[in-house]
Amino acid sequence: MTGREPFESHETDLFIAFEGDVPTGTRTPSAIRHRAVDILPAVAAFVAVIALWETGIRVFDVKAFVLPAPSVIIERFIATRDVIWSAGWNTMLEALGGLVGGTSLAVLVAFMTVRWVPVREGLMPFAIAANSIPIIALAPIANGMFSLTSQIPKMAVVGVVVFFPVMINTARGLLEVDPDEIELMRSYAASPREVMWRVRAPHALPYFFSALKVVAVLSIVFAIVAEYFGGTQDVLGQYILTKANLFVYPDAWAGILVASILGTALYVLVLITERLVMPWHVSFRAADAS
Amino acid sequence: MTDLVVDAGGVGKTFGKGEDRIEALRGISLQVSKGEFVSLIGPSGCGKSTLLRLIADLTAPTSGELRINGKPPARARTDRDYGIVFQKSTLLDWRTVSKNIELPLEVMGIDGRPDVAARMLDLVQLADFADHHPWQLSGGMQQRVAIARALAFNPSLLLMDEPFGALDEMTRELMQQEVLRIWDETETTVVFVTHSIPEAVFLSTRVIVMSPRPGRVSDIIGIGLSHPRDEDTRESQRYYAKITEVREALRRQEPAKP
Repeated sequence: MTGREPFESHETDLFIAFEGDVPTGTRTPSAIRHRAVDILPAVAAFVAVIALWETGIRVFDVKAFVLPAPSVIIERFIATRDVIWSAGWNTMLEALGGLVGGTSLAVLVAFMTVRWVPVREGLMPFAIAANSIPIIALAPIANGMFSLTSQIPKMAVVGVVVFFPVMINTARGLLEVDPDEIELMRSYAASPREVMWRVRAPHALPYFFSALKVVAVLSIVFAIVAEYFGGTQDVLGQYILTKANLFVYPDAWAGILVASILGTALYVLVLITERLVMPWHVSFRAADAS
Repeated sequence: MTDLVVDAGGVGKTFGKGEDRIEALRGISLQVSKGEFVSLIGPSGCGKSTLLRLIADLTAPTSGELRINGKPPARARTDRDYGIVFQKSTLLDWRTVSKNIELPLEVMGIDGRPDVAARMLDLVQLADFADHHPWQLSGGMQQRVAIARALAFNPSLLLMDEPFGALDEMTRELMQQEVLRIWDETETTVVFVTHSIPEAVFLSTRVIVMSPRPGRVSDIIGIGLSHPRDEDTRESQRYYAKITEVREALRRQEPAKP
């Protein structure tokens, strides 16, 4: 997954991520099969990396402020679990708030732009311009708009990050429909609304989920980044920042581990939802046939 | 009032404007009576699909008079007078076979949809596949579902645009037999676009031969083979004679004077 470095141009990363993830009909059902054999390489690689890391730290006697050993991080992860999971939960709420808000608005706007051409023509340049705003620059300003302890500004930052990729991808899915299917609906004298719900919306689902998979992980990342700019202390961003400032790096890393777990959990949640909502999709067929 | 399902008088269709304009159809006059099976045949660019799309009101003529069941095509479409089958089955992936057949019924607010779907599946002999998804079926089966869907709301006219173009020869012949049986059972009028001479002859009561640039009707050939038609028909002298007649009609075509 790209987009881990919040200060880089995330827009570019996003586009690469979802250009490549658009359903093409030949996509292999990776990360979806349930057979143990299929996840074996991933597990092996994970174990190998951790082992290499641990050995490397011990052999070269790397200091903890450079990079702590996995065993040390795990130790702190367990020792501080009450604090970091409480912080993690608060960060998760911000991420979820922004994710749900941003996604809902994005889907609404996508439908409007497809349904009404003037809306598309009027809104698209605005949306593209809005997307070029460095979102991170908004964080301190958003903080200033609300009380210092409010979670709303963090949700707003996440929402803005989420909005554009979901909107563009969903709109694309709504528009990229086989013209024959539109003509078929026309032959039934179907209303534009019928065409939207019975043909366009189901077509857009795979595109929507592709975008959602990308932004689900980003929502945690950007919630943490927004937290760096101040607010309540009981959140991951502030926790990591404070521990790093105090040179307690293993604790900071334990916080980062919580963030990864939350990001992965969100991603898997989206994956499962996708499978439940569109079991008919081409990317799941190989698994069904076996 | 009238038994004419399709009545075209001097119908023309031009695409584009100025330098880029393309005259797709010129002076098409054609009458199709109730219960007929009419094929439109001609080389590519003769406008046979365009003519079908005019009948379906998927595009509008630029000149002439076109009536479907005595009504303007737009009115016929909103009255759901016809069902259409394309070369691609255009079944919706997320719906089962049954639900695909129910699609027009849902749009039109017709009740008793599962019963209709079951009846249509019997008609195309796919009752065992009601709960399958389209991608689990072969190409021929998918087209049979598309035909069932087109007939589900009992239209008086069935329009078919090279429906078997993507199928192999064996499946194609089976499908032709199926279509004739369905035509016989439902008493629907059929307008069928094809570029296969044997297909046109085997299926049709009349074959409309069209020529290109611009698309015109160059010959109308009555087939007059007895019904029901079967494998023996395909080996009869009269069948061969009619194939030759259509082939020669296609060969004598000359380009129109501008």
